[in-house]
Amino acid sequence: MDVLSHLAGGFAAALSPLNLTMALLGSLLGTLVGVLPGLGPTAAIAILFPLTAVLPPVPAIIMLAAIYYGAMYGGSTTAILLNIPGEVASVPTCWDGYPMAQQGRGGVALGVAAIGSFVAGTFGVVALTFFAPVLADQALRFGPPEYFALMVLAFTAIVSLSGASLSRGIAMALCGYLLSLVGLGPATAQPRFTFGLGDLFGGVDLIALIVGLFALSEVFLGIEEARVAITQKITNLLPSRADLRRSLPAILRGTGIGFFLGLLPGCAPSVTVFVAYDVEKKVAKQPERFGHGAIEGVASPESANNATSAAGFIPLMALGIPASPPLALLLGGLTVYGLSPGPLLFERNPQFVWTVIASLYLGNVILLILNLPLIGLWVRITRIPYGILGPLILLLCFLGTYSVRNSMFDVAVSLVLGAAGYVLRKYHWPVAPMVVSFIVGPLLEKNLIQALSMSGGSLRIFVQRGITLSLLLAALALLGLSLWLMRTTVKRVELAAAEGAELS
Amino acid sequence: MNERRVAGAVLVMLGVVALIEARRLRALREEMVAGAVVGDDTFPWIIGGSLLLLGLYVLFVARWPEARVSFPAGPARRQLLATAGALAAYYVITPYLGYTVSTLVVSSGLYRAMGGYRWPVAVFIAGLTTGALYLMFRVWLLEPLPTGWIGM
Repeated sequence: MDVLSHLAGGFAAALSPLNLTMALLGSLLGTLVGVLPGLGPTAAIAILFPLTAVLPPVPAIIMLAAIYYGAMYGGSTTAILLNIPGEVASVPTCWDGYPMAQQGRGGVALGVAAIGSFVAGTFGVVALTFFAPVLADQALRFGPPEYFALMVLAFTAIVSLSGASLSRGIAMALCGYLLSLVGLGPATAQPRFTFGLGDLFGGVDLIALIVGLFALSEVFLGIEEARVAITQKITNLLPSRADLRRSLPAILRGTGIGFFLGLLPGCAPSVTVFVAYDVEKKVAKQPERFGHGAIEGVASPESANNATSAAGFIPLMALGIPASPPLALLLGGLTVYGLSPGPLLFERNPQFVWTVIASLYLGNVILLILNLPLIGLWVRITRIPYGILGPLILLLCFLGTYSVRNSMFDVAVSLVLGAAGYVLRKYHWPVAPMVVSFIVGPLLEKNLIQALSMSGGSLRIFVQRGITLSLLLAALALLGLSLWLMRTTVKRVELAAAEGAELS
Repeated sequence: MNERRVAGAVLVMLGVVALIEARRLRALREEMVAGAVVGDDTFPWIIGGSLLLLGLYVLFVARWPEARVSFPAGPARRQLLATAGALAAYYVITPYLGYTVSTLVVSSGLYRAMGGYRWPVAVFIAGLTTGALYLMFRVWLLEPLPTGWIGM
């Protein structure tokens, strides 16, 4: 009852005209920026952050959270209609969303994405409300060895998404880890891999990496392929009964995976969406449909994305640990306003915490109510001819990358990575493992160092603790399963080729 | 170009670079933190070693089917090179000419190269784009865009 009375107070505050307007404005602006190809939630929050500086803390954080949700929704639109993910978390949506759009089912893909996002987001916020203290307590029990083992599990999940070549996937993941090492070391704060360049002291910027590897390389490939945006009229947003039958279990599985993994600090949407997609593919009766427009391939990662985002608020608010780059920016927002995230935040600023939680409920409803009718508007933005859209994307990528840290160096990094991404994608090297390992790299390293410090350098610590050992065995099992699946797939392809089947 | 050999060589090179840096960091750790068994060099050792081993595996053990990759030729190649050139030029001239002038110049080139529009049309669309982006980033979002020598 205590929770309900707190929540009621939160709703009363969140429904005040100023807070409600900020939630509405944030959702719209977030979607507007998120729908611009190449720009995702992190860039949207980073770009729109100055707008909130003029507001008091509560409406400012409400607006930032709404921008985050809105931009995630907008990212799905570009992922489905243009095959350009604004953030890593939208990459799996591209794999089946874009083929669906090519088949004239873009509206259904957008509709399922919106429904999945709403279901997962609402479930996440309800769970956040009622189980936050218990679940946060569980997450607190994880020590550095457990987190390390969890990151190893994430690593194998990433590598298992590498297509038919495990060595290429591992190579790209290792390159991502290597890039994450650039900057100041976590133990001594001494520069590493900077080669005397002052610009590298702050590390490689995640936005520059994403924009380069995904957005710029996408435009380069688009020029070559004379790509045009999906031009058919987007109608019939509501999925059919058959679509719902296929997508509902996927939405629920994605929600579960996204939420429970998202409770653990470090498990960002960029990790859980891949795990959700992987699981969906593994439980599917016809896994070969994936990558060719399977509706579950849109429903599951989209739900996982929103569920993780909601779950990420628990470690953010209860422990002060951001689970993803956008939440790290929100953490920055909290500290800017003199609020110290952590257990004390609940004790000292309950009104603030519960108003923000209530605004998350409202944000989900606002997005569903506003964005389904507005899909036509967002789609019209994507119908601009590629000769106009291409240069516009490039200019936005350039300015978006620059605006995160006001750094021309980051722009140079994104241009170089854009060229590298183009060549890698031409040779079918998976770029997603590189980006995901870049994100989890610092956490993996930090927990490895802490765990080894605890054990005096002995690796036995990783097999002496039950949870750690279980996670490492799960990682090993997943790797074995992935190897077996890859070999089976290769054999299937060879068999089909021998039989003269047309392989795309 | 043999994809496997190039990839293997690049991985070995990256591994060696990481191991050299790890060695430097270990010396630094031993100098700064007496008795510490792990530090900033631990992860680079692991990543460097893994990259080196993987590179050697790719070079001498792995059997990859020969990749059949075709890069664009003719107008598509010219379009691609013009776009890449325009972006490189944008990076070079922006700090000197500032956001407004460099965006106008570069976006005109991009619209011409990617959209095939006639120069007057390309410059017109570029003007609209430059203005819209200026309003969004500079006026609305108050982003401190580079102003260059001209001050705009």
